[in-house]
Amino acid sequence: MVLCLMLGTTTVFAEDVRRVLVIYSNGRLVGGNVDVEQGLSSTLVDAPNRRIQIYSEFLESEFADPSYEATVTTYLREKYARNRPDVIVAVARPSLGFVLRQRARLFPEVPVVHAAVFNFYLDSLRPLPAGVVGVPVEYDPAGTIEQALRWHPSAERLVMVVGTTSRDLEWERMLKAVTPRFENRVKIEYLSGMPSAAVLARVAALGRESIVFTPGYYQSGDAVRTTPRASAEAIARASGAPVYGFLSTFIGTGVVGGRSPHFVEMGVQAGQIVERLLDGASPASLQLASVMPNRLRVDLRQTRRWGIADRDIPDDAVVQFKEPTFWEAYRRIALSIACVILLQAALIGALLLERRRRRKAELAVQLQRSQVAHASRLAIAGELTASIAHEINQPLGAILASADAAEMILKAGGDRREDLTRIISRIRRDDLRASDVIRKLRALLAKHEPERERFDLGLMINDVAKLLEAEGHRREVALEVRPLQADAMVVGDPVQLQQVLINLILNAMEAVADMPPDRRSVVVDTARDGNSVSVSVRDRGQGIAADNLPKIFESFFSTKQKGMGLGLSIARTIVEAHGGRIQAENGLVHGAVFRIELPAVTTRSSSMVAA
Amino acid sequence: MTQPALIHVVDDDASFRDSLLDLLQAVGFEVRGYASTGDFLLDATPDRPGCVLLDMRLPGPSGLDLQAALLRQERTIPIIFLTGHADVATGIRAMKAGAVDFLEKPVQRDALMEAIGRALERDAGERSARAERRRQQERLGVLTVREREVFALIVAGRLNKQIADDLSISLRTVKAYRAHLMEKLGVATAAELGRLAGELRDTTG
Repeated sequence: MVLCLMLGTTTVFAEDVRRVLVIYSNGRLVGGNVDVEQGLSSTLVDAPNRRIQIYSEFLESEFADPSYEATVTTYLREKYARNRPDVIVAVARPSLGFVLRQRARLFPEVPVVHAAVFNFYLDSLRPLPAGVVGVPVEYDPAGTIEQALRWHPSAERLVMVVGTTSRDLEWERMLKAVTPRFENRVKIEYLSGMPSAAVLARVAALGRESIVFTPGYYQSGDAVRTTPRASAEAIARASGAPVYGFLSTFIGTGVVGGRSPHFVEMGVQAGQIVERLLDGASPASLQLASVMPNRLRVDLRQTRRWGIADRDIPDDAVVQFKEPTFWEAYRRIALSIACVILLQAALIGALLLERRRRRKAELAVQLQRSQVAHASRLAIAGELTASIAHEINQPLGAILASADAAEMILKAGGDRREDLTRIISRIRRDDLRASDVIRKLRALLAKHEPERERFDLGLMINDVAKLLEAEGHRREVALEVRPLQADAMVVGDPVQLQQVLINLILNAMEAVADMPPDRRSVVVDTARDGNSVSVSVRDRGQGIAADNLPKIFESFFSTKQKGMGLGLSIARTIVEAHGGRIQAENGLVHGAVFRIELPAVTTRSSSMVAA
Repeated sequence: MTQPALIHVVDDDASFRDSLLDLLQAVGFEVRGYASTGDFLLDATPDRPGCVLLDMRLPGPSGLDLQAALLRQERTIPIIFLTGHADVATGIRAMKAGAVDFLEKPVQRDALMEAIGRALERDAGERSARAERRRQQERLGVLTVREREVFALIVAGRLNKQIADDLSISLRTVKAYRAHLMEKLGVATAAELGRLAGELRDTTG
């Protein structure tokens, strides 16, 4: 069933192929033919129920003579006997002449559509046989010259260039019927039947006071065959005066322009007629325009070259080779580039904004960090109050007692100079001791900008040990600091790192607070390993719960009841800001180990800096 | 024979300790210094009037530890605590355990001297009380076992008849013991005996 249907459908299509035989007057590559073909083929398109097959033949009309025509007719009859055309299109006058002459032998019942045929030639053929239809072309040399004179009001001479073939002569006759009306305005000079070299020499000698008009020619006076377009191009290239001509194919050759229908439009017009005939309309019933519309066509490059202002070009003119403005030429590219630039600008803007925002945020974080760090130092100070007080009151107490002793000795009289000297030197020593404690505390507690300096980690650790010794006593925790053997210069902020270490040690002391006496110890160990120095703080407490190990350095994580959970996170921030790292692990037997690793400054580079 | 007071200074801070020793010496005391509680305990302290100026925070056993140890050993030498940082809790603990005072360094001389004065007073008081008790004990020592039993019952306020019942002896025997012990203790009247019994009860109680 399905197969039958498909076969049936195929059959319907096979019957519905319509053939259009297009007969061109001359060669395939003549500009006008190419344009007409383009117009035809763009108009004659396959419909769902109808397929159009276009066949093109080229008469090469320059061979025209009766026997040639007979041969070609026979050839076409034989060639298309099995695929008879449904419509014949005759393009240009020679083709139409041929078709009409051979009509009796060449598919006489098939309608003929003519295209690109001059009106005045058709006039000589009227009345046209039945079945021959088309819209004639009426060139407008007068309009073209008129326009040229408007653009060149000071022109004194109009030079007409024509050729020598019969068609060229026909042009010449046509033109000579037109030019007399301009005689009162310009001097008219015909270059007819001249060798092309002479023509070119003549136009080359012209200046701006002249205007050249040419319909182009097929053959020059020295019998050189050419095409209208090629001849016009040669003339335009040589001419010292603007060259006008009315074939649409001239545009682009250097000719300024002219009034004419376009060959593509002629093809389209013919195609539309063919369509209607194929749809079944009878040729006689067609309502057709009497003539193809003419339009002024100009080559903008040429109008500009000859000083014609753009505003003087009529609005309805077809302006070609409009040197595209930057916008027109690169509209898409320009748009893309503009887009890209805009996007980039936006991106850059966004990034700048982002950077500013980030900088602000960083500054805020830095500020906050230093504030928090300061706060945490104060908190440390709070924790250490007892130790600090002890550290300071010890020397103060000694000083007061010494002073009292000295006073008593003096009151008692007698020569006890030695005792007094001893007491006074002790007072001095104790005073220095007190101020030393205060200096260290100030360094620790002062709100200060982060510094970067080279300092000895070992000395810093000793300071911390001294600072916390009393605290160890108070908490009844043994604090053991194992000094570093090698020197350990690091670069950074000694106060911040000191704070980290104090933090870790206080934590460790806290960790062993509830331990039996033999486990109440904290060991600070330092080691130099290649390019880094590590400081570890080891306690013998409960250790860190495995769950807590990964998050122990996170802000606000705390296992302490009163803890803010900032100590270790700040410690990590500080250590990492020094290019180091901090890690926590549990000891082999018990307790926790916090290890800080800092990049060490090599002794060599330090000596270089010193030098 | 009033001996000059001997002041002990226990402080690990050599400078502070020496300063204090100088001061106390200048005031006229005899002094001894120790760097730790252990040093103090190891020193064969002669039984002399005096007191201990004890640092609260010391390496090893703390001042409080020493105080506790002295109490256990019934050594009643008065203690004045000195501390670099006075925290209330520690202060209360020290005072409850019998410290004379709890002073924060740096110590004003007057406050220190006043505290030492009180400490020595307390020491003197304790010393005389201890001497009196010893004397009483010595007087009781001359009594026979039976006499002491009768005396204990008299001190407890029992009447002769009741004592005779308590000890299952005759009233007359009780009276005989009573007469003997009054003679031995050097009291003439029953009222005097009652007063002595009261004193003994106080000092031993």
